[in-house]
Amino acid sequence: MSTAWSRRRVLAGLLLLPPAVAGCALGRAAGPDEPDPLIALADAARADAALAAAAVAADQGLASALQPLVEARTQHAAALDAEIARLNPSRPTPAPAARPSGRPGRSEVQQAVLASGRAAGNVALAMPPERVGLVASVAACCSTYAEVLV
Amino acid sequence: MTSANPRIDETAIAALQNALAAEHAAIWCYALAVAFLSGADAARAREDENAHRELRNQVEETLTQLGAPAVSAQPAYATPRPVTDPASAAQLAAVAETDALAAWRSVLERSRDRALRQAVLDTLSAGTLRCARWRAAIGQAPTIPVFPGQP
Repeated sequence: MSTAWSRRRVLAGLLLLPPAVAGCALGRAAGPDEPDPLIALADAARADAALAAAAVAADQGLASALQPLVEARTQHAAALDAEIARLNPSRPTPAPAARPSGRPGRSEVQQAVLASGRAAGNVALAMPPERVGLVASVAACCSTYAEVLV
Repeated sequence: MTSANPRIDETAIAALQNALAAEHAAIWCYALAVAFLSGADAARAREDENAHRELRNQVEETLTQLGAPAVSAQPAYATPRPVTDPASAAQLAAVAETDALAAWRSVLERSRDRALRQAVLDTLSAGTLRCARWRAAIGQAPTIPVFPGQP
């Protein structure tokens, strides 16, 4: 409900924003020395996949809820890596995610994917047109997993 | 036409019109689907229809503020398959949500306005959840689309 209301205000109130605020639509573009913001998102996707896989290994009862998440986050990592490589073909193949410690459960996975969805959403706001769709899809997929895993 | 908001240009307005057309279609699809659904599915279809009505109103309001006449709904829409029973009705709901997700993702690709992008990101997430529930109802795997809105 609160999301719907805030969205209503944003959509309906676009023109109510003062020009100074409405005008600075894009964040600062990444400089040549700054890392591609998609690298952190791809690493998070690999980490989420490893975490969810560890949770399934610890409790097979979680497989039906978490195995699709393992596969989704693996596909996110591959798509993000491909986009990173498109702009930087010389980038070495990223290392696989470290094995999660302990026996992660459903709530750890939920929190991880919630944070990943938020991070991707923040990155999406400033992405150029050819990248924003991919990053936004990753964000929407993660936030939906976070919602159903609560 | 000159937009009152310099960050929302004609390309973004065209994408918003396309999203509005998808919302009109979704509302029509739910009105049809609900006639074939019962119990919890019917209740959810009504809830989802209301979500799309609210979204439609917001887009119309936004377009009006931008000085663009909002596109109208069509009197009827062609369904990909005949809707005759609960399964085909749930399938139509999943299709309507999938189409709307694609239209909204395309708004992101055609707009650089940060406030609009934030609103559309929220819309994509809410739509992905609706889509996932109908995919679950028809047994489509994975339940949650991996790249929501990707054509």
